[in-house]
Amino acid sequence: MPRAGASAPSPPGAAVPSGAERGAPRTGRGSGPAGRAARRVAGGARGERLAPYVLVAPAVLVLVALRLWPLVLGVNFSFTGDGARDGTAVGLDNYRELWRDPLFRSALRNTGTLVLLLPVAVAIPGLLATFIHLRVPGHRFYRGVYFFPAVLSPVIAGAIFNLLLAYDGPLNRALEGAGLGAVDWLGDPDVALFTVVGVHVWATFGMALVVFLAGFAALDTSLLDAAKVDGASFPATLRHVIVPGLSRTIQFVFVTTMIGMLTSMFGLLYVMTGGGPEGATHLPEFYIWIQQGQMDRPALAAAASTVLFLLMLVVGLAQIGLLRRSGREH
Amino acid sequence: MKRRVLGSAVLIAGVLLAGCGSAGSGRPSGGTDGTLVVWDWKSGDKTAAAYIERAKARFAEDHPGVTVKFVAQPFEQYYTLLGAALRSGAGPDVMLFNGGGRLRDRAASLLPLGGMPAGDRERLAGWEAFTADGTVYAAPVTLQGHPIYYNKALYAKAGLDPGRPATTWSGLVEDCAAITEATGARCFSLGNKEGFGIQFFLSGLGPGVLTPREYDDWIAGKRDWTSPGVRRIFELWKEAGDRGLNTAGANSTALFNDAFARFESGKAAHVVGLMSDVGHWKEFGEFLDPGDIGVMPAPRAAEGAEPALPYDGGIGYAVAKGTAEPELATDLVRALTSTEALRAFHADAGAVVSDTEVEMSGGGPALDTIVAGIGTGRPALHVALSSRTLDLMGRLSQQILSGSAGIDEALRRLAASERED
Repeated sequence: MPRAGASAPSPPGAAVPSGAERGAPRTGRGSGPAGRAARRVAGGARGERLAPYVLVAPAVLVLVALRLWPLVLGVNFSFTGDGARDGTAVGLDNYRELWRDPLFRSALRNTGTLVLLLPVAVAIPGLLATFIHLRVPGHRFYRGVYFFPAVLSPVIAGAIFNLLLAYDGPLNRALEGAGLGAVDWLGDPDVALFTVVGVHVWATFGMALVVFLAGFAALDTSLLDAAKVDGASFPATLRHVIVPGLSRTIQFVFVTTMIGMLTSMFGLLYVMTGGGPEGATHLPEFYIWIQQGQMDRPALAAAASTVLFLLMLVVGLAQIGLLRRSGREH
Repeated sequence: MKRRVLGSAVLIAGVLLAGCGSAGSGRPSGGTDGTLVVWDWKSGDKTAAAYIERAKARFAEDHPGVTVKFVAQPFEQYYTLLGAALRSGAGPDVMLFNGGGRLRDRAASLLPLGGMPAGDRERLAGWEAFTADGTVYAAPVTLQGHPIYYNKALYAKAGLDPGRPATTWSGLVEDCAAITEATGARCFSLGNKEGFGIQFFLSGLGPGVLTPREYDDWIAGKRDWTSPGVRRIFELWKEAGDRGLNTAGANSTALFNDAFARFESGKAAHVVGLMSDVGHWKEFGEFLDPGDIGVMPAPRAAEGAEPALPYDGGIGYAVAKGTAEPELATDLVRALTSTEALRAFHADAGAVVSDTEVEMSGGGPALDTIVAGIGTGRPALHVALSSRTLDLMGRLSQQILSGSAGIDEALRRLAASERED
């Protein structure tokens, strides 16, 4: 987009004429070379004024046609009824039903739990990247191994962990062999969400790890050397040198991890828990899918989608604000 | 930042202002160029290839110039895709449905099948599952039921007579104790991860609890969730969990196909399975000796019950209300339910088909028992419930198993859900 300033175009239909138009002599229509030159100047100015709009038009049209217009239709649809009331305006009935539905409220609570688990999801790749950067023995091997799960689709990762975490699966057999009791990793409502988040982190932390390693590459190594010379312990180095030096990287990973957790868990949930047990792993997107596909309640699903959209908008704006503030600090 | 927040606010305001609630559903357009489009989740299966070919050939005899295009959709997303397609007017002319709530929920988008001749109505069984408010909307292809399968080899190892399974709940519990002691196998293989386990349990064991009158009332929609009979079924569900009769980790085990695999591998002596397509006698026979697979009636767990095979129409083809060629589409449904096509489906897929003229034998004692029970069978209890109640029942059944909800609370919520439907 053109920035406000010297070349800023006037909006189409603006009342104030451009400088070229103001300076042109008022001659009759097609009355001599001076008039033609004036029209050329005026036409050029108009072309210059319209050029930015023409240039951004394809992008704006795509955005409006494929994003904003469907969004408007979707929100509009959420104010209509389902089943016998299909196509009729029902006001806020769908939103009232959502609010009364304990399953949807539980889905929103689970979203809150995911946000609370974010620091763990960020700390794990951060710590592992730190170890690789500090060249622990075998760091080259670990760098490749850690990234490997990132190339697996959520469905494959989910299927693998379904086998590993089955009640009679190898992990529980090992626990029982060690004298500990078996855990119903995917069937206990107090455990299942944490299990799925754990698998999600396992499957996706490789990408965050790469970002952290890139951040380490830009870290001032003289500070690390100085800390080493001063005899700083690892925790002290981490707290006073590494974390402050990587603050922008950490914020970036925070934002991308949060987006991933809120929008990309569907595949894992579908394969690993089906939203259960007892609705304990229901997230809004899963709820939307069930209402649309299984319950034949597309208008209710549209209302839930609108709520999720507003939620993501708030979270997104908060994140952008956070990034801007930290940008100014640096 | 302020500008961004302002922009977002303007966007939301515009979107909300636009929300005057005027959108409605489109109408399926149907084929207008001599082409009929059929949606299903079966036509891509190898075992259904001969069935589809026979049906197409039969249809082509009467309508040689009409092209029939089968589109096989993934079953997991079938109803999502179908709902969206019908709503946007891009739906198929003919489509496959599961019987029961799936069809009844979408009856408004379907054409009443009044054009089916009386001969077809008599030849095919299982129409009730495709009927909503007295109107038939689809023709049955298969019969789907919930027989209780048992492993005769485990019975023999435990010193029990494989030919005489228990006829009462208490007798079954005693037999299971003997089987578990002798073989380590549990009584029931249960998969309730998606909440399907309770549906099969309700339909499989319910006939041993409800009296014929209670049963008929339930099917007719006069359901009393707090009656002693219904309460008894849910008590059995809890008892099976509490006494360790089920395979471990039922709430994290998928019914399709982990629970069935446990039965096939001898880890459980019984499973409530299906009659057609999957989780049935033919699939079990790939791992167990077909002679070792038995089918038993529901054990009696209450006075006055008269157990019968629970079954309904399984899958059936319906015609979209908005199709441009309703007569052609109805003729295609007739071809898809013709005797020669259904005979091929039974032979290749092991489906128990809806056609009473198709000879179904040679599948071992389990199939023989099922076929013998069709004449006296009754509709399955869970098929009468709406999708919404089934979904809630799935979650509540998981809570009952884990102990986080009591039976009374679960039944109260199910009754409330039905009232809201």
